[in-house]
Amino acid sequence: MDKPIVTRNLCKIYQEGRVEVTAVSSADLTLGEGEVVGLFGPSGSGKTTLLSILGCILRPTSGSLMLYGKEVSDMSEADLPFIRKKYISFIFQGFNLFPALTVHENVMLVLKLKGVKGEVAERRATELLTEVGLEERIDFLPRDLSGGQKQRVAVARALAADAPVILADEPTGNLDFSNGRKVMELLKNLAAERKRCVVVATHDNRIEDIFDRILFMEDGKIVREKRRSP
Amino acid sequence: MFYVALRILLYDKIRSFITLLGVVFAVGLIFAQLGIFLGLMETSSVIIDHTPGDIWVTSKNSKNFDFSQPFPEYLYHHVRSEDGVQWAEKLIVTWALIKQKEGGTEQIEIVGYNPDSGVGGPWEMKAGDIRNVKNGNFAIVDESAMRRLGNIRVGEYRDILFRRLQIVGISRGAKSFTTAPLVFTSYKLAQGLVGWIGPDNTVFVVAKAAPGYSVATVVERLKKRLKGVDVYTKEAFSMKTRLYWAVETGVGFSFMLTILISFFVGMLIVGQTIYNSTVEHIKEFGTLKALGASNFEIYKIIFSQALINALAGYLLSLIITILSVKIYESTDMVMVVKGWVNLLVLGLTLLMCVSAAFVSIRKIKKIDPAILFRG
Repeated sequence: MDKPIVTRNLCKIYQEGRVEVTAVSSADLTLGEGEVVGLFGPSGSGKTTLLSILGCILRPTSGSLMLYGKEVSDMSEADLPFIRKKYISFIFQGFNLFPALTVHENVMLVLKLKGVKGEVAERRATELLTEVGLEERIDFLPRDLSGGQKQRVAVARALAADAPVILADEPTGNLDFSNGRKVMELLKNLAAERKRCVVVATHDNRIEDIFDRILFMEDGKIVREKRRSP
Repeated sequence: MFYVALRILLYDKIRSFITLLGVVFAVGLIFAQLGIFLGLMETSSVIIDHTPGDIWVTSKNSKNFDFSQPFPEYLYHHVRSEDGVQWAEKLIVTWALIKQKEGGTEQIEIVGYNPDSGVGGPWEMKAGDIRNVKNGNFAIVDESAMRRLGNIRVGEYRDILFRRLQIVGISRGAKSFTTAPLVFTSYKLAQGLVGWIGPDNTVFVVAKAAPGYSVATVVERLKKRLKGVDVYTKEAFSMKTRLYWAVETGVGFSFMLTILISFFVGMLIVGQTIYNSTVEHIKEFGTLKALGASNFEIYKIIFSQALINALAGYLLSLIITILSVKIYESTDMVMVVKGWVNLLVLGLTLLMCVSAAFVSIRKIKKIDPAILFRG
């Protein structure tokens, strides 16, 4: 069976004036279902760029990116939204929830984008919010939630996208340790239960133990890999 | 997406309220300017439009209804005798002075018509009858003249060009573009009242094409036959008069300029608000894109915001405009609020708001994915 993510010799080079900056260099990855992978590294090491490429937001300069066996690195800009819609979901450090919409509506919006309509969408949004422990807060606006609760809404929204790959950028960055850990445990459980492939870019060493695999990046390269002992 | 747009607008109530006020102001101004302009245009050709008949014969190179020169009356017989003419009537339109009750004078526009046929006379009477002007020094004054001439009643006398005329009727709806009160008399009286017209001259001949004859054909025949005069269809003469006042006097330009300025002011207000809102929500829109929403799906939210602003602003403006029609009337102005005008303004409002949204569309199109990864 095809793996969720396979990259070969993936590179991203930015042109800054006359200078070429290599953000990601020769990244070879094979990520499986149900796996929770951490991308660790200092700021500027290329982990966010790699995450953007894996999420089809940025296009690689060279190399191959396959999602479930489908080569996507050479696809046109017009085709990428369909790929993202089918395979990718995101969680961001800043939550990026619509402040004008309730928690329930924020999740519903993604369901509607997926083509889920009416009562089915409403029921599904409620189920997802219950799953992340926010059943009491579904009619709240984001401003009335704590950081941890907002990130759980973002997790529910990512699940609403029903994509097999979840990419998270510093999901604990704006949370205290306790809330950050809760969110990560939630992601880990979801990955296991729903066979999702979760990739998290972070430099929060306190959550290292959550990951099945950790990739350390420096200067755009994956310099080391650590697997959790069984 | 319409619902999301509505929620975004309702979330920031103060900004949305200010935007709505801006749209109401801009659209209200467009309504008022367009309505008053059309009202002026209607009044400029009000006699032509309400006079039965299809053909108008005027002096050569007459620029409009109000400033036509006299021409020989015998041409009237030529018109009558032309094949394809069912009937013809003479009409005098000229300027005169009326003496006010308390002294002083006012300028008036006299319309002399045949009381037996009523062609060119008042079309709606508040008091009296259009035939009452026959055989004597009688006149009908329009009720819109009361503001300028005082409260005139049927039976009282007024001096027009030093001749004492009895008021025998009050007409309704005969308001001139020049704001000079319209006073109707018999053709014969008007002919003699103003010395410079002369006893053998008329100012217009109005004719009706006989059944089975096309108006255009009869007009062409009359043009060939009559020398020293112009011949128009009713519609053409009405339009000529309207265009004179609208174009040659610059009135139309000034109204259109205000409409254009209102349009751009509205566009700027809506554009700025939607752009600010888009910039504020850029991360949320970016997230939707990251989750697979196409640009088009996000455009729907932006355009929905523009549409909500347009429709709400338009409806409020329409209500205010309808309520203010009476206020305009009380100041002797005519504001036209008709179905097609409302549709035109709706179209302009939608165009104004939707065009304003395009700046935001550019912003969405060029969302830098990097912003999504900034905490």
